[in-house]
Formats: sequence, structure tokens, C-alpha cells
Amino acid sequence: MNVRQWWRDLAMGARFAFTGGREGWVRMLLTGVGVGLGVALLLLTTAVPNALAVRHEREEARLDYTYGRTTQPRADDTFVIADTDTTFRQSEVRGRLVEPEGPRAPLPPGVGRYPGVGEMVVSPALKSLLASDGGKLLRKRLPYRIVGTIGEPGLVGSHELAYYAGAQGLAARIDHSQVNRLDHYGDPAPSTERADPVLVLLTLVVFVVLLMPVAVFIAAAARFGGERRDRRLAALRLVGSDSRMTRRTAAGEALAGSLLGLVLGAVFFLAGRQAAGSVEILDISVFPSYLNPSPLLVVLVAVAVPAATVAVTLLALRGVVIEPLGVVRAARPARRRLWWRLLLPVAGLAMLAPMLGQGRDQGNFNQYLVSGGVILLLVGVTALLPWAVETVVARLGSGSVAWQLAVRRLQLSSGTAARMVNGIAVAVAGAIALQMLFSGVDSVYTTQSANDVSRAQMQVSVPSGIPLAAAARKFARTPGVRRAEGLAGGELGDSGKDPRSSGELTVGDCRALREVAALPSCRDGDVFVLEGGQHDTPQLARSGRTLYFDPSYSGDRGAEIAWTVPRSMKRARSVEDPTNVRRSGFLMTPGALPAGAARTLYQYVYLSLDESVPEAKEYARNTAAEISPMADAAAWASTEQSKRFTSIRTGLLVGAACVLALIGASLLVSQLEQLRERRKLLSALVAFGTRRRTLGLSVLWQTAVPIALGLLLATTVGLTLGAVLLRMTSTPVRVDWASVLSMAGAGAAVVLAVTLLSMPPLFRLMRPDGLRTE
Amino acid sequence: MTPPPGSLLAAEDLRKAYGPTVALDGAAFSIHPGEVVAVMGPSGSGKSTLLHCLAGIVPPDSGSITYAGRELATMNDAQRSALRRSEFGFVFQFGQLVPELTCVENVALPLRLNGTSRREAERTALGWMERLEVDDLAKKRPGEVSGGQGQRVAVARALVTTPKVLFADEPTGALDSLNGERVMELLTDAARSTSAAVVLVTHEARVAAWSDREIVVRDGKSRDMERAV
Repeated sequence: MNVRQWWRDLAMGARFAFTGGREGWVRMLLTGVGVGLGVALLLLTTAVPNALAVRHEREEARLDYTYGRTTQPRADDTFVIADTDTTFRQSEVRGRLVEPEGPRAPLPPGVGRYPGVGEMVVSPALKSLLASDGGKLLRKRLPYRIVGTIGEPGLVGSHELAYYAGAQGLAARIDHSQVNRLDHYGDPAPSTERADPVLVLLTLVVFVVLLMPVAVFIAAAARFGGERRDRRLAALRLVGSDSRMTRRTAAGEALAGSLLGLVLGAVFFLAGRQAAGSVEILDISVFPSYLNPSPLLVVLVAVAVPAATVAVTLLALRGVVIEPLGVVRAARPARRRLWWRLLLPVAGLAMLAPMLGQGRDQGNFNQYLVSGGVILLLVGVTALLPWAVETVVARLGSGSVAWQLAVRRLQLSSGTAARMVNGIAVAVAGAIALQMLFSGVDSVYTTQSANDVSRAQMQVSVPSGIPLAAAARKFARTPGVRRAEGLAGGELGDSGKDPRSSGELTVGDCRALREVAALPSCRDGDVFVLEGGQHDTPQLARSGRTLYFDPSYSGDRGAEIAWTVPRSMKRARSVEDPTNVRRSGFLMTPGALPAGAARTLYQYVYLSLDESVPEAKEYARNTAAEISPMADAAAWASTEQSKRFTSIRTGLLVGAACVLALIGASLLVSQLEQLRERRKLLSALVAFGTRRRTLGLSVLWQTAVPIALGLLLATTVGLTLGAVLLRMTSTPVRVDWASVLSMAGAGAAVVLAVTLLSMPPLFRLMRPDGLRTE
Repeated sequence: MTPPPGSLLAAEDLRKAYGPTVALDGAAFSIHPGEVVAVMGPSGSGKSTLLHCLAGIVPPDSGSITYAGRELATMNDAQRSALRRSEFGFVFQFGQLVPELTCVENVALPLRLNGTSRREAERTALGWMERLEVDDLAKKRPGEVSGGQGQRVAVARALVTTPKVLFADEPTGALDSLNGERVMELLTDAARSTSAAVVLVTHEARVAAWSDREIVVRDGKSRDMERAV
């Protein structure tokens, strides 16, 4: 056999793929779209690491704070920058006040010139938000004139809300945390942070879990139009093709379909890439330019996908004997064996076993073993499902006509049904495992917020130098604010420099102090020592003793303001404050503060909001911005989650939804194809009076039975995998039945949707036209 | 328009077009109980369309069809389906057996659609399979039997409800002459034994010879043929 002959056979197959009239084109398009969707998802997945890397690089490049405690001297290349981040509704707004101190002050990435005082440059997303009706409240908070936009290099996502506003006199407010003097943006020596092994494990498993169903989907798409192709191959045999030639022709046909799929996949990816710029998920958006898959991975996809489709086609032909007079399928195919199918999940478990109990502290999980183990377990689902479907449907008895039609069909070709369900089963098994893992490690990443949200829902830090009482009054007058209690905190040491012992200090008017302690009596000028706090320091609270506000420590000079503990000091019992902490140390009313001590304190206001007032939080944030752009208003939630963890979880949900939709599409295509193949039979059944309901129900049963089995198997494998992953992270195994049911429910919803969507074509195919032979 | 006296199924001035293609152009038809009528004509003449219209599968564009005195046009889809389930039987060129059901299940299917229990339906089906000499195939699937055997199973399926009218569209079209003869013999014998009328669409004179009367359809028009005895 020479290469020429091979080429001729392949080319003939390719020609068959594109010829054959409207039906041929439709089939080809379906295959192309199916493979294309899979390819697009693969390309997207390969582009994600790059997108994350670019986001990280951009974030690093605009870094504008230092951890040092010494102030850099003013120079012609320095600038002072203040962090004025805020939140608008659920979106974070990155805000900076900037003041260049010389002509050589570097510009922030993406910014063409420094905005003057009262001016700002904004991200495109913020610009359109401020211009919209919905952004009116935010406009009040950012009362600067827009003089330009921040370019792509200065943003980490297309939807990022960000601004740089010009300011004056920032140098006086340098505090080495919120306000800094710098001579560059970005970290000159970016640190590589060691990734949390559990998060790495989660990310790895998410990728495998999302990509496995895509592979199954591509395999399913490669089989579209199989029966018609087999008949065509039989015709070829009649005119002299031998069985090898027909296989090569089939391979050529599959290759053409997958090549079209690659082209369509690239188009879908490019379209999706462009569309990605207008999508934001959990505050994360990307610019289309971020989504550049690595060339090596693109080549891998371009080679692997056609190879896989050809392999699937040849595998599918394995059980078929194509004779010149037709296609012969063994009437009773060999019974499926269980033993080798069980080997796959067992091998997967064996690969994961060495990592059991490693946990977060024991270092990295071997990514090859993790990926291999998870893949084998999930592939095990695809291998076990045909066996399970065959074994179970063989035992199903007769019922109604619809049930009988469905069961008999499944008994005759359970493999087709199992293949259709495989994708969903794999997706559900993986998702259940991940949900379990997420729920299990939830306690680590979701910290129950200590704050008592029944007493206060926001805490606003007020920069020092701003009169706290006036600020609290301003808040109290804000719509939606029920109560505003201003407190200030500081430190008292037993000596001015490097104190051996120090205590907390809380300053506020009598009403505000009652938020943190039960006071016997109170008037301005009173001082209290707290009892029953978490870190009581009774040795400091001796009357006549001199203590120091804001003591100095080596390398960090404080104000060292001396204060003598008064004889009139009263005792107060500490009660839980709105952050559920029992404070200790001293309480002081403003009248008792020594001169100059007020500016050493950090000030904050607890806000109790009337949640029935729409946008109460936004009004409060606007008031905070009026008081000072650097006032930081934080809304309290009852739980706080690690942001990265939440984004992985959201990514999983979105990915699982996309994959299920993709598989639903493939199920629908297969279903429709099967119905089209049976067009004549359906018309005949209608001719002798079969009700639509009967045929509709038979289609439903035909899908529902394998899906039910698939979901059962997927749940078992998913729970096993979930338990193994939890053991790997040394987390107690706990089944989150709600998420198991929700994932299984999502799978079932796909079946229902597919059945419903296939009803109109079914009824169309039941028309008598199918009986026409001429 | 009144149907010919004593006719079970009659049609007058039937017109039917598929887009620009006229399939029936004023065709007429009638059949009496127990009568076998062959509808003949070349390919594309409108034979099958006439059969589909008579069976209530396809509504004609105009004209009237009456079955046992009832106008088909006045029935809705559900009523026509019920009529086909209980009063009519069908045999098609390629049998159109449901491939996943066994032969006996295929034969029992119309009875089951009428609400008969499975056991009872299969018992009756086996009786008909015996009459058509295919009872030994009861547990086999259609893919496992020959074309002639499959067609006999299809005839059994068509007769199992003891229909008043049996519609046969090229019932021997896919069979060799020997098998075709046997199928026709069994079909007409069985129909006559139950006094079922048979509408036999064929283009083969050899098959039409099994009928009592022949109608020729050409260019959508029908006419009765005198038969030389």
C-alpha cells in the first residue's frame, strides 16, 4: 500500500464530508460546530494561565506602596500617592490621589500626564459608569473633572473601575500605609509568593474536571452522522473498496470534520475572546489581548483534536462490519466486561493514595499524580457507564408502550445511550467532588466574621486630624444611618521608648464608650480602667504613674506624649464591642486627653444602618468621602471569604454550567440525528395511530434511564473522589448533600431541556412526509 | 357528494399538491367491505398520496373522503389517529418494523396502542403470526429475519387489530417474486377471512392480479380498469 493510495482514500473521505447535498452539509456543520465548541473551550483554557499571568504583571507594574517606615526625601522624581479605594455597590473602585513633586516624577502605567488638582483620569469602565444614571451617587463621591482615560497597561481588566485624581499637600499626610512618597511604580524585585498547595490542588482539579467532559464531547461530536456514513461506506465496498480502504475513507471524513471544527473553534475562540472584554465575573474582567494561548498548547490542540476524532471514528468502526450489501452490526455484541473497566478508577485511586493526609503543611502535591489520578477516576466513569447501562437495562421489564419502546431501544444499543450520557456523568462526578472539596475547606477559607452585624453594619476609619465628633455627627445626619458612634484608639506604654509593657486606649464620648464597656457614670474628662478584657494590664493602671502615648520603637519614632494616670480614674467592666471583642486597657473621654495626643490616635466610626433605605451604604460612603477622600468605609458582612477561593468556586460554577450547556447541545444534536435516521419508522408508527404522547414519552425515557444511571454512577465516583481529595488536604470528610443534589439536578435539568427541545423536531418528523418514497 | 352505495371507504374529486407538484388532480376511489382494490400507476403518478389521503394520514387540499358514512375532513387529528389505530391496518414496502422490538412485540404494538394488556396483545399477535407462518420468529428482532419474513410480520401487525381496511403500499416492492407471491397470498387470504377491504398500491401487474378490481392513477387522476378475465 503506497502513500498515494492512502492519500486518495483520505481525500475521498474528505470529499464525502463536504458533498451529499443539504443533509451532508448540515451533518458536517453539526460535527464542525461540535468539535469547534470543544476546541474553543480548549483554547480558552490554554489561554487562562496567560491571562492570569498578564493580570498579575499589570498589578505588579502599578504597585504603589512600600512596607518601609522611613520617608524618602522629596526630589524632582518623587511623587506622593494616597490609596483612596472605595466600593460602589458590589464593585471595587481602585482610587489614588497623586501629587508629583518634580518634573521627573514617573507616570503611572497607562496614564499620559498627571491630573491637576481637582482633575482625574479614569478607566473607561468608570467613565461610562459615571456618565450613566446608575453612577450618579458615585459621581458625588468623586467630584473631580475627568481629563483623560487610563490606558490598558494601567488596568488589570476591561471592567476595572479605577481613577487617579490630582491632589495637593499630600506630603503632610504620609503615614507609610495609606499615603506614601515614591520614585517609581511597580515592585523592582517582585516576590514570587509560594502558592497554597491546597489552592493549587483545587485549580488543578478544576481544570481537569472541566476539560474531561470537553474531551468526551469532542468524541461524541466525531460520531455525528455515523449511521449514514456506514451506509455510504457499504456502497463503497460494493464498488470494490476493501475494508482497510473504507476505514481510511472514514478517517478522511472524520479528519475533514475535525479540521472544519478547528477552523470554527478558532473563530469561536476569537469571537469569545473579543466578547470576553465585555464580561465580568466576580469583579474579574480581562482584556481580549490577555487571552493568548501559548503557541505550544495551540499546536497541541491542533494535533490532538484531529487525532482524537480519527481515533474515535476508527474505534467506532471496530464493532461494525461493513459489507458490500450493507452494514452488519453484531446482533448480540459481546457482553461488556467489568474487570478492566474497574481497573481504571482503581488505578486512579492508587495514584492519589500516596498523597492522602499530606495536608496544607506537607508541601506540594505532585501535579502529575493528581491530574493522572483524577483523569483515571473520571475516565473510569466513561468506562463503567456503558457496562452499568447494559447490565441494568437488560433487567428492565416491560411497561407501557412508551416505556417498552425506550427500554427495547436501550437494550439494543445501550452503548449509544451511554456515550450520550458520558459527558454529563463526567462533568457531574467532577463537580460533585470539587463541591465537596470546597465545602470541606470552606472553614479554612471562609472565616466567620467576628463583627456583630446586628449592632453596626459599617466601620469608617477617619484620618487623624479630622475632628471625630463632627465626623460622627455628619454621619448621623446621612440618609440611611441610624446611629454613628465615633471612637479613637491608641497605645499607652510604660516608657517613651521601647516600652516593656503597654496597654490599649479607647477614646470617645460617654455614649460611644458605652459601646465597649459598662460605665458606672460618665462625663467628659473621665478616665476609666477596663476590667474583664482580653489582655488586662493592671500594673499600668496605678494612679500617679506616668504613661506615654504613642511610644517609640527602634526604627519607628512615636510622639511619646507623657500622661499621668489620674487618681479620679474609675473602673469599668468591659463588654463586647461591635467587633465582638472585649477591650482592655483604658477608656478616656476627649476632655481627658493631654494636648497633642489626639493626632496619635486612629479614629473610626461605627455605623448602624437602616437597611430599608435603598443605597444606605452608598450614602454613608459618600459622606465618608466628603469628610476625607482617605476615609475608608468598610461594609461588614456576616462571613468573609478568601477572595481567591471564592473566584475558584465561581469559576467552577460558571465552567460547569458552560460544560453542561455544551453537553446538552451535543445530546440534542445526537438525539435529533437519531430521530432523523428513524424518520420513516416514526411516520409509519404515526400511520397506524401511535399517539404523539407515546413517542414523546419514549424519547424521554430513552434519555432519562441512562441519565439516571449516569447520575447515580457520577454521584458515587464524585463522592469517592471528593472524599479522597479531602483526605489529601487532611480535612474531615463531610458530604455536602445540597451541592450533590444541585449538581445532579443540573444534570437532570439538561436531560429535560434536551427532551423538550427535541419534541418539536420529533413532531415534525412524525409527519406523513416520511412515508413518501418517490 | 354521496359515496357509491354500499361502499366502506370512498373518495371524490381529491386534489393534493406538494408545492408546485400536483399529486392528485380530481382522483376518485371507492371500496366495499372484503374487496381488494389495486391502485396502479407509474412512479410519481400519485398512488401513495391517494393511499395516504384515504387513510387520513394526509389531508387532501380539496375533495371528500367518507369512511363508513363519516366525512374524514370533519375529524380532528386525534380522531383520525384513533380511526387508524382501531379500523385501519398498514403494510409498507420495507415493513417499517420497530428494530428494537422483537417480532411478536412489533405485531402486538397496535393492540397495545389501543390499550390491550401486554399479555393479551402478545397472545393475539402470536395467533396472527402463526397464520402468517412466522410464529417461530416471535422472539427474534427484525434485524435477525429475512426481508420476506419481515414483511409477513408486518402483514401480521397490520391485521392484528382485525381492521376494516388494510392499506398496503408496495408490500412486495422489496421482495423477490417467490417471497412476494407468498406474502400476497397470505395477505389476501387473511384479509378475506376477516372481510377486511384491502387498498393495494403497486406498480406490478403480478401483484395487482391478487385484487378484485384495479384503479389506475396517472397524473393525479384515477380511472377504473376493466379486467380481462
